[in-house]
Amino acid sequence: MEQIIQTLILGLALGGVFALMGSGLSLVFGVMRIVNLAHPSLIIAGAYATYWAFKLWGIDPLVMLPVAAIILAAIGVLLYKLVFEREARSAKYSEMTVLLTFATAMIVEGALGGMFTNTQRVTSPSYATDAIFIGNIFIPTGQLYAGIVSLLIISALALFLKYSRFGNAIRATTQNREAAELLGVNVNLVCIMSFAIGIGLAGAAGSLVSFVFSFFPAKHWEWVAVLMSLVVLGGMGSILGTVIASFMLCVVAAFVGAYVGATWSTMTFFLALFLILLIRPQGLFGEKPELA
Amino acid sequence: MPELLDVSSLTAGYGDGPAILDGAHLTVQPGKVHCIIGPNGAGKSTLLKAICGMLKIRKGDVKFKGESLKGLRPDQILRKGICFVPQERALFPKMTVRENLRMGGYSLADKSGLERAIDEIEERFPILRERRDQHAGTMSGGQQQTLAMARTLIVKPDIVMLDEPSLGLAPKIVQEMFDIMKVMASEGITILLVEQNALMGLKNADWGVVLDLGRTLFEGPAAEVMADPRIQELYLGGKKAA
Amino acid sequence: MMSVVSETLTGDAASSVLEARRAHNEKLAAKSDKARAIWFPIALLLLLLALPALQVIGNFNYVLHLVLFTACYVTMASGWNILGGFTGYISLGHNVFFAIGGYFAGMILARYGISTILMAPFAGLLCAAVGYLIGRVTLKTRGPSFIISSLALVMIARILFDHWKFVGGANGVALPANDLSVEWAKLPYYYAFVVLAAFSVWLSYKIKHSKFGLGLRAISKDEIKAESAGIDTRTYKVLAFAISGALVGMAGAIWGEYLTYIRPNIFLIILVSVNMVLMCILGGKGTIAGPVIGAIMIIAFNELFVATLGASEINILATGLLMVIVLLFFPQGIVGTLAKHHKLPRILNWD
Repeated sequence: MEQIIQTLILGLALGGVFALMGSGLSLVFGVMRIVNLAHPSLIIAGAYATYWAFKLWGIDPLVMLPVAAIILAAIGVLLYKLVFEREARSAKYSEMTVLLTFATAMIVEGALGGMFTNTQRVTSPSYATDAIFIGNIFIPTGQLYAGIVSLLIISALALFLKYSRFGNAIRATTQNREAAELLGVNVNLVCIMSFAIGIGLAGAAGSLVSFVFSFFPAKHWEWVAVLMSLVVLGGMGSILGTVIASFMLCVVAAFVGAYVGATWSTMTFFLALFLILLIRPQGLFGEKPELA
Repeated sequence: MPELLDVSSLTAGYGDGPAILDGAHLTVQPGKVHCIIGPNGAGKSTLLKAICGMLKIRKGDVKFKGESLKGLRPDQILRKGICFVPQERALFPKMTVRENLRMGGYSLADKSGLERAIDEIEERFPILRERRDQHAGTMSGGQQQTLAMARTLIVKPDIVMLDEPSLGLAPKIVQEMFDIMKVMASEGITILLVEQNALMGLKNADWGVVLDLGRTLFEGPAAEVMADPRIQELYLGGKKAA
Repeated sequence: MMSVVSETLTGDAASSVLEARRAHNEKLAAKSDKARAIWFPIALLLLLLALPALQVIGNFNYVLHLVLFTACYVTMASGWNILGGFTGYISLGHNVFFAIGGYFAGMILARYGISTILMAPFAGLLCAAVGYLIGRVTLKTRGPSFIISSLALVMIARILFDHWKFVGGANGVALPANDLSVEWAKLPYYYAFVVLAAFSVWLSYKIKHSKFGLGLRAISKDEIKAESAGIDTRTYKVLAFAISGALVGMAGAIWGEYLTYIRPNIFLIILVSVNMVLMCILGGKGTIAGPVIGAIMIIAFNELFVATLGASEINILATGLLMVIVLLFFPQGIVGTLAKHHKLPRILNWD
C-alpha cells in the first residue's frame, strides 16, 4: 500500500513538470496549427541558461525562471519572424511547419552541443536533493517545488486566456481564425505573441527541468515523443487537456516503472502516443480530429 | 452626397488563381435589404469577401461614402462601418455567448460602453441572455445565426453583409432570420445578403441583384427581378417558380 | 428600371480559349519528349561499374567508399521518395526499416555465415511485410499526425532494440569481415550498392509512370478527391509504404556487413532518417533524379564538414540550417525549381 501511494506521489510530481513542458506546445499548436518539434530542444536551452546562471553566479533556478522565460520568448519572436511568418500562406502549411520545426530542433541541439558539449548536467540548488518525509513516504522537495511552480504558471496562463482582452483574442484566433480577423483581431500579432508565450513557457519549463532531470543537448529527442503524447492525448491545442493528460500518463508511467521495469516507463508515453493517434486522434478532450 | 457603397468594375479572385469576379458592379439603397442571387460559382461570396477586405481588389474600386476601400485590411473596413458574417457564421464555438458578443466589440476604440451595449443586445434577443454562459458551439443553428447577426450590432455598422444566413436552417427558422434582418434595416442598417435559395431571398428583400460569371447581370427592385421572365427561367428554376 | 449589363461569353470566345489551351498542352508534350536524355543515367551507371578498375593502379578505397555510401543513400532516399515524394506522406521514421533490414541480414550472417548481399532481397521482403502491417495502422492518420506517429515508431524501435538481448542490446553484434585483401575488400559491397541504387531509380521510374504511380500522385494532390475518383487510396498508400520500406531495408541489410557490426545507434539515430528526407527535398521531392542529386550533395556536404570541422554537433547544426534554407527558399528542390523555370538540363530530366 505504501509503495502504491509513493509511486502515485512521484508520478503526480513529475506530471506537474511535464504539464508545463507540454502547455507551450499545446498553445502554439492551438493558435497556429504548428506542431513544434523544436519545443523540447528550446526547453533544454532554457535549462542551460538556468544551469549556467546557477553555476557562475549562484542564482537560484526559481529566480532565474522569469529571466529564462523572457530570453526564450525573445528567441521565439525571432524564430517566428525569420522562419514561420513567411510560411503562413503556404499550401502545404502543416507539413512544411513540422519539417521546419524539426530542422530548428537540430539547429538548437547542434548549437547547444557545440557550446556546452554532450556532458550530462543538472542544476543542484539545496532543495533539489532534499525530501519531505510523511511517515515512510517521501516527497522529493525539488519535484514538489517544480510541480507547484508549474501549476501556478499554468493557472496564470489560464486566467490570462480566459479574462484578458488579448487572451480572448488568442482563444478566438484558435477557434476561428477567419472570424477573429473579421472582428478586427490582428491575427499576425496574436501569432507572434502566442509563439513568444509558448516558447517563453518552454524557457520557464527549462528552469524547472534543470534541477529535476539531468540533461544534455540530444535529450530532446526523448522528450519530443513524450510531450507529443501528452499534447495529443489532451487534444491538440487544449491546455487543460494537456495538463490532465500529463498527470494521467506520468502516473501510469510511474507505476509501469515501479512494477514492470524502468526501461518500460518511457515506453508508456510512446505506446500511448501511437495508440491515441490511431484510436482517437482528436485526443480525450478534442471534439473533432484537428490533426487531420 | 456620395453613394453609401459603390462597387465599380470590380475584378478579384483567390491567391494567384483566375479572377472569379470580372467587372462586377453594385450600388446600394441605404436602409434596404439587398439580396444577391446567382448560380454556384457566380462570384456572390467572392463579391462580399472583396468588399470586406478579405480578398485583394485586382481592378476596379469599392467606394464607401465616397472613400476607396482599396488596400484596406478587414479590421480597418470593419471600423469604417461594414460588418461581414461569413458562411459558417464566424462564431467561436468554445467561447460563451457573452464572450462571443464581447469579441464583436473587439475593434471598438472606446470600451467604456461595451458591456452596456452587450446588455442592450441581450435585452433585444432574450435567447442570448438565457444562454449567455453556454458555449456558442452547443446552440442550435438558428440560435447561432441569431448570435452572429446580433454580434454585428455592437459596432453600430452602416452595412451588414451576410453570406447565406439560411444555410442548414429549417424554413421556419429562416423566416425568423429574415424578420430580424428587416428590423435591422428599419433601423437604418443596410443589409447585403447572398442567398442560394434565390426565391426565398428575393421575397424578403427590397432590392435584387443577379450575379453570374463574375459580373452583375441585373439589378432592380426585388419584385421586378422576381417577375422578369428571363431571370425566372435561368435563375429561379423555370416556370413553376412564378 | 431594369438594365441588362452584360452578356455571357459567346460561343466563339469560349472555343478560342479551348484552342489556345490545346496548343499549349501539345507544346509542353513535345518539349518534355525532346528534353529526356536516357543515355546519361546509363552512361553514369556504366562508369560506376567500371570504376573499381582504378584499384589496379593504386589505392582508391576512399573514392569507392564515397560512391558506395552515396549509392546506399540513393537507395534509401529513392525508397523514401516513393512514399514521401509521390504520396506526400512524410515519414521521419524510415530508419526503422534500415534497422530491421540490417538486423535481419546481420543476424543471419552472424549465425549461419550467409552473406547479407544474398539475404538483401529477403530483408527487403521482410521490410515490405512489416511496412505493410505498420502502414495498415499508421496510414489511417495523415498530415502532422502521420509525421508524429512515424517519430513515435523510431522511439519504440530504439527502446526495443536497445533492450533485446538476442541481438546484443545497445552493444549490438559484431559481424565477420570478408577475407578479401584490402584493395578488393570493398568490392562486393560496392557492386551491391551500385546495383541496388540503380534498381531503386529504375523502380521509381517504373512506378511513377504506372497507373499505380498516377494514383499515388493523385493522393498527394488531394486524397479525398482521389478517393471519390475511385482510387483505392488505402491500398495504394500502404503498398507505397511497403515498397518504400523494402528499398530502405535492403540498403540496411548490406550496410551492417560493410561496417562489420550492427548496433542500434548506427541505424536508429535521427540523422539517418533526416538525411533521407533532406536529400529528397533538396533534390526535388517526387522527381526521379531528385533523390540522387540530393544524396550526392548531402554526402559531399557532410564529408566536407567532417573533414574541416570534425565535430558531430556542428554537423547536426549545419544539417538543420541547410534544411531550413532549402525548405524556405527551394521547397520544390533543385530538380523541381529548375523544371519550373524550364531550365532543367536534359541530362537531369529522368522523369
